[in-house]
Parts: sequence; C-alpha cells; structure tokens
Amino acid sequence: MAAVMTAALFTGCGKSGDTAKSDSDNGVITINYPTFQCGVNTAAPVVAKLVAEFNKEYAGKYQIKLEEVPGDANYVDKIKVQLGTGDLPPVVYGAGYNLLDLALAKNLVVDLTDKVNADPEWKALYSKTALNTNSRNGKIYASSVEGSIVGYFYNKDLFAKAGITEPAKTWDEFFQQCDKLKKAGITPLAMDTADSAWVTQLWWGAMVATSNENGLKFMQTMNPSDYNTPEMVAAVEKVQKMLKEYTTLDAIGGKYENAANNFLSGQAAMIANGPWMIGDFSDTTKTTEGFADKVGAAVYPGNFVYDAPIQGYFVTKQDDPKVEEAAIAMVKFFTSAHAQQLGLEMQGMVPASDTVKITDKASEKYPLLVDFLGKATNASIRSDNMQATMYSNLLDVVSQELPRLYSGELDAKAFCQKLTDAAAKNK
Amino acid sequence: MKIKKGWIPVFLLPAVVLFLLIYALPLAMVFGTSLFDYRLTAQKMTFIGFENYIRLIHDPDFFKALSNTVIWIFIQCILHVALGTIIALILYKKPRGWKFVRTAYMVPNIISNAAIGMIFLNIFNPQFGVVNSVLKAAGLEKLTHNWLMDSATAFPSVTLIWVLFAGYTTTLVLAQALSLDESMLEAARVDGATPFQVDMMVVLPMLKKIIGTTMVMAATYMLQMFDLIYITTNGGPGKTTTNLPLQLYGVYKTENNYGYANTIGVCIVLVGVIAMTVINKALKVNKEDY
Repeated sequence: MAAVMTAALFTGCGKSGDTAKSDSDNGVITINYPTFQCGVNTAAPVVAKLVAEFNKEYAGKYQIKLEEVPGDANYVDKIKVQLGTGDLPPVVYGAGYNLLDLALAKNLVVDLTDKVNADPEWKALYSKTALNTNSRNGKIYASSVEGSIVGYFYNKDLFAKAGITEPAKTWDEFFQQCDKLKKAGITPLAMDTADSAWVTQLWWGAMVATSNENGLKFMQTMNPSDYNTPEMVAAVEKVQKMLKEYTTLDAIGGKYENAANNFLSGQAAMIANGPWMIGDFSDTTKTTEGFADKVGAAVYPGNFVYDAPIQGYFVTKQDDPKVEEAAIAMVKFFTSAHAQQLGLEMQGMVPASDTVKITDKASEKYPLLVDFLGKATNASIRSDNMQATMYSNLLDVVSQELPRLYSGELDAKAFCQKLTDAAAKNK
Repeated sequence: MKIKKGWIPVFLLPAVVLFLLIYALPLAMVFGTSLFDYRLTAQKMTFIGFENYIRLIHDPDFFKALSNTVIWIFIQCILHVALGTIIALILYKKPRGWKFVRTAYMVPNIISNAAIGMIFLNIFNPQFGVVNSVLKAAGLEKLTHNWLMDSATAFPSVTLIWVLFAGYTTTLVLAQALSLDESMLEAARVDGATPFQVDMMVVLPMLKKIIGTTMVMAATYMLQMFDLIYITTNGGPGKTTTNLPLQLYGVYKTENNYGYANTIGVCIVLVGVIAMTVINKALKVNKEDY
C-alpha cells in the first residue's frame, strides 16, 4: 500500500498523458478521455457511438481519443490518483461516485454556469433534480446524461402463487405480502449486505423517505451526520426484520450478484433495483427463457420512487483554454437530448431530462422500462438514494455492521450510532 | 588468493541504489507524510506534527486491527509453523508416498489468494456451502451457521483459510532435515534413543534455524495479509476480522486520508520490526550453532 501511495506521489512528477493536447500538424485538439464505459459495460456501445459521431461532427477541430479503463473501481482509483497530482483528464464522468466534490475541493472544475445559461437548448435539459445534482453553491459544474429512477421488481408468478394480485401501496400491506409469500414457501426478498448493500439500502431508504417529512428531508440531505433519528431507527428495525425473516440465508455477507441471482433464478419474489437490470431479465446466460415476461415493476409503498439524475460529466481546468472549450463541447454533445435518446434506445438508459421523449423504438424494445417510467411519473414522493448522499466512508460501515444487526449483536439504535460515529470522522 | 576489496562497493552499489529507491525512499516518504494533514480533498498538505499518531492511540478501530494482526502473527508462527514442521518430520523418514504428499501439500500455496478466497467463500456459504451441507447431512442442522458473517465464528473461519496450508514451511524444513548428517542420527539410535527421542532431541534442535526462518516468513505473510480477508469478510462483521493492512486501505480508500493511512503504515513497519526481532532473539536465527 505504501508503495502504491508513493507511486501516486511520484506520478505528480510527470504528466500522465490523459490531458488533451493540440496536434501541431493540423490544429486538431485531441481529448484523451478515460472511461470505464468500455468492454462489457452496458453503456460501452452508446459511448463508442457518441465518440464516433462527435469526431465526425467536429472533424478537423476536435477529436476524442478513448482510453479504456475496465471496471468502475479502477476508473475511480485512477481519477483519485490523478486528483492527487492535480493532473485530471479534460472531461471526467462523475457517475455514481461523487467525483465532482472531490475535484471541486481541489478547485479543478470549470464553472459551466454561463455556458449553460447562454444556451437555452442545453439549459432546458436540466430538470430541477438535475440542477441540484450537478450544482454547488448556485453554480453549475456538471451535466447529466442518465437519470436514476429506481423502484423494485417483482415476480408475477410467485405473487400469483401466494395470492397477491398487485404490489403493495403501504408498508403495512408490503409486510403482509411478505408474510403471505413466506407462508406459500417463497422467499419474499432478495437482499445483500456486502459491497455497501445496494439492494438492502434501497428498501431501507424508501422506508425512511416515506416515514414522514423529517424522513424525506433526511433523504434529501447531502452528507447527513446524524443517523440517530426516530425515522432512521424505525426503518433500521424493519431492515433487521427483513434480514431475519424475509430473505435468503446468503444475503448476510452476500453481494449484489447473490441478490440478483436469487431473483433471476426465481428463488426470491422481489428485488429493489434500477431499470438497468431489465436487460438481465431476458439474458439467458443469467436466467431462464421467458423470465422477462414474469417480471413486473413497481414504485415503493407510500408512492415513493428514487429519482435523481446520476452526476454527470464535468470539465476540468486545463492550461490551454482551447482544450477547455473542446471539453465543454464534448460534455454538451454527450449530454444532449440526442445522446440521452440514444442511451434510451440502445441501452434502455433512463434519460436525465424529463423533456426527452420515449420513442416507439424504445417502447418496443423495453416495454417493462416504459411501463415503470409511466408508474414512476405518478409517484408523489421522490429523493436521491441513501448511498449517493451518505459520506463515502459509511458505505463500508453499513456492509460491516448489517451482519451484526442481523445477528442481534446490534439493535437498531446501536447500528444508527455506528453510522453517526463514522460520519463524525469526516468533520 | 588476495581479494581486491576495492571492487566490493562497486558490486554492492546497484543493490544499494535499488534498495534506497524502492524501499528506503518510500519508507521515508510514508513516515514523512504521516506527519501531515494529507487528504485528497485538501488543497495542500499541512504539517501537523504527531497529531495523526495521537488520533491513532484514541482510535478503537486501529487497536482492534492491531490486536487481530498480532494474534494472527502469533497463530501463524506457532500453529502454522508447528503443523508444517510436524509434516516435514514425518516426511523426512521417507514413508511410502512421501514425494506425492510433499507435492500435494504445496498445491494450495501455489494457487492465488484471490482464488483461495473465492473457494472458501463458497465452502462457507450459508445457503449452499459444503460445511453447512455436511452438517445438514449428518443431522446437525442446529450447528449450521453463517460462518464468515457471525461475530462468534468469523475470526476462526477466516484463520482456517490459511493456517492449515503450511506447504512452504514443510518444504523448507524438509529440505533442511534431508540434508542432516545421517551419522549423528545413527549415533543417537545406537545410544538407545527411540525414534521420537531422535526427532525431539537431535533432529529438531538442528532444524532450529530453518524453523526460525519459516517463522519470520509466517509473520511477514500475516503483516501483508489483505486479499483473503478482503474477499471473504472485508474485515467484518463489524471489525471482527480486520487487520492493519485492511484498516490502512479503508482509511486510504474511503476517508481519502493519506496522512492517517501512512501513520498506520508506519505502525505496520514497527510491528514487523518488533516481530522479527523477537523471533530472531528467541531462536537465535543469526547466531552460529557450533
């Protein structure tokens, strides 16, 4: 580890080669763009197409050169090392890793406010939530391409077997349904605790958000520091019940993949997750033929849905203003209505902007997505997900302490205190 | 023949330069940066003296990681080395099939830790793992457990992943045992020593140095242990199975606090130096026997 960190320090002695450069022969500015959206990543074809289109549109002026960094974690590590040296690539995709705040802390991000305000077409793509996600202190620093509307999926066959006709509208009804499923010999929920417990946190956050106004306010707060609130404790008690009574044995210590497998193999009746999972329902390497027809999508009890665009692309400060201009052009292109529509049609990606129309092509290709987006439109309570707003060091704490919550070693209050203590380390 | 001593520094120079660049300089930087408030989110590094060290002595997570690391070093130096040595003492008598056993016992040591971690993750899986399946088949369903995620069983379960595979120790001790002067052993037998007495009173004392060396290797292995724990429990549940490298990684990765991470790094070096000194002193590894 020491060697890694030293290597990171040494990196500062030279240029990483990720920065844009001007080609002296023909005046073309080349933007070196590292991305994890390559290889088997579901967004890889979309990004590749956008790069090709950009290079064609700006031929002779700008050119994007993709640098493939397979794996989200590798990409985040790479950007963090470059942040340490102050030598970031011209365009960085914040994704779900809040890289924007890290770069802002180093004062390395270009303020896009004037550029966005001067361009009505670009500005129209910023919904209120997109503006919140990509702005800090009233200034716009990033631009989103992808929305994140997250509900849950259920297995219609298993529901029918347990005599359940439709998804629950209240949490009381939800737990009654869990009991019905259990009685019918069906595991109600696919859950996880490892790798920050993505699936479990979705259920947990939904219960906090729908508890009352304070709960919703908590969910809408960036980096909350006090988890010892009545709403949080009550929700954690229910999570404890879910882990003890309604999920598979391997959920404790299990990763997202375990939870997904349990749902895809028909062992569990419900899984909380985003629309990006829809592709898996018809992937015969992951599930059986025809499984997609058995899956329904729903918003959470209390008419809640997670709705916050994923932090978008941002431009970093460069020595050459021409490079910054090129990078801004790239960000605008990559987050345009066309790009969002392309993502929807090619990948089933939820557009960041609510002004982007759902095309017939998308409806035909992703009927479950369109059905879910229709339901999500009517959801009355919305917030970002808990993982996106909590301090990053809490993600590990959640994974480490959930098994102790399950075993009863910690009660809900003690669990929340652990989170509060860990949050205090960031002060 | 007269040795031209003037050449000695010249031949040593490449090794010294490499050591300085690859080990000494990074170590100095680790110690140096541990005296700074050095975070990813800070505009610049700020000198804070020993503040990180003061935080360290008030950090219960650090002490949990430290105590686990020390316990694991102890277990590895005693149980793991003893097991490897006992197997070597059996094999040096060349019983039937000893070559096969020697090779087979080495196999787990040549598989990557990542693969071993995944294998044991599945062996201990509470739903379909071998351990619980065997218990169920034996009618002992009450004993089934989530072995890696229950605070009561996580530490011994993780320890089992590496403590039994003492192939390196066996190979080294066996090589040394096979090179022992047979006449000394024969003399002991002629004097009426039983095979057990020969092993305990003659062979084992002559293997003291190589056993000391394997203990040093076992201790350093534990100081570097990261991947197996990261893959199986990631230090959990709670901090039950965390150790110093994992604690360092957590501070580096999630808190982005490089200064504090390097403070833990300095402690790892200190623990290593102390462990090496104790082992060397106890077994007199660096002293002549005769």
